Amino acid sequence: MINSILRFGLIFILLILSQVLLFSNIQFSGYINPYVYVMFILLLPIEIPSWLLLILSFTIGLIMDFFSGSPGMHSSASLLAGFVRPYVLRIVSPRDGYEPNSDPSMVTYGLRWFFIYTMLIVLVHHTALFYLEVFRFTDFFRTMLRVLLSSFFTIVFIILIEFYRRGK
Amino acid sequence: MRSLLNFLARYNNLIIFLILEGIAIYLLATGNTYHNSLFVNGIRGMTRGVEEKINNTRTYLSLRDINDALAGQNVALKNKMETMVKKENPLFFSYTDTIYQQQYIHSSAEVINNAVNRQKNYFTIDKGRLQGIQVDMAVVSDNSVAGKIVGCSENYSVAMSLLNLDFKLSVRIKSNGTFGSLSWDGRNNREAILSEIPQHIIVNVGDTIETTGYSAIFPEGIMVGTVSDFEKTGGDFYKITILLKTDFRKLHYVDIIGNLKKTEETELEKLFK
Repeated sequence: MINSILRFGLIFILLILSQVLLFSNIQFSGYINPYVYVMFILLLPIEIPSWLLLILSFTIGLIMDFFSGSPGMHSSASLLAGFVRPYVLRIVSPRDGYEPNSDPSMVTYGLRWFFIYTMLIVLVHHTALFYLEVFRFTDFFRTMLRVLLSSFFTIVFIILIEFYRRGK
Repeated sequence: MRSLLNFLARYNNLIIFLILEGIAIYLLATGNTYHNSLFVNGIRGMTRGVEEKINNTRTYLSLRDINDALAGQNVALKNKMETMVKKENPLFFSYTDTIYQQQYIHSSAEVINNAVNRQKNYFTIDKGRLQGIQVDMAVVSDNSVAGKIVGCSENYSVAMSLLNLDFKLSVRIKSNGTFGSLSWDGRNNREAILSEIPQHIIVNVGDTIETTGYSAIFPEGIMVGTVSDFEKTGGDFYKITILLKTDFRKLHYVDIIGNLKKTEETELEKLFK
């Protein structure tokens, strides 16, 4: 228990630091802004109580808001991602169900499963985030392009990090 | 009562979700307009240490560019001083001029946090209320428009960047004086859109665009950029693309310009609204 709190605390800090110091500084036109910190919501254990999942995803969003000076944007988007996660897990569940006490990781369930799982949650998060940021429906398709491009890069980075985690 | 408890137990996730989402939407709705209330004063203080470290590194890496820009500004100022001193007749020069009143007050600041890749970009500067910065002062970088102050704490201020969908600026074409409205369309951080220029006006690629001074925030004649492209749209107006003079990715040192007579002007204008 204590062990896993420490582990997820470390992941939490590392993801926030890498987001703030590295990924938020990618200024490659306005179209590609990967938000890799969503990975924290992805990695939490499958059997986590959903109230804790909601509070943790709200917290990481709120901290991102403090860093980017955008009150409420990240918190509401990642809260939504935390809210849909149980439903996504149900949709993508493997044929024989999930193993007890396991993490939703690539090692346990394979690359294909992890890719679909990541894609769904990242798309939900980024759609909410970018439309909340613009807060209007003019340029609807341009915002959608930003969502798709940024999601693509976020997914690529998350899968790369996951490969690195497996290598250890 | 029992059914109520059952209901709460069954939908507790949805309820927590709705409460937290309500908090987030509340922050979103109020935080953007009253930028100085919560975020600038209180909580952002926690993240400021990290931001300053990032900024220190970034400034150090681009010292050469900054030095070049400062040297260029120095030369320009020296030239200006030269012409001014030459112009005045030394015999009739009076240095206790009581008619002249200073209208604009300048001070310089350093940008410590900046973003260009969002749709509503803001940047933070390292001077605040104690250094005389107030809301609605103009922010100018190397004599071209950068933004305006929207919130101050004691030692820091947040400015709305020109690269913000909510930023509007009254500008004119320098060669013929026609004025229009400049805004950013969120696409490219080097370009902005000038609208409301009627089609009978002759526009050329390369024309200089500068501020009008109608807004009581920006002084007259501060350069914004040059015309890079224009097209005739369906209405009576052009859609003119402006290449911005300021490169917002390299914003380091800015000048803050305050209008000392702003209250007088706005009070007077309020009478006729």
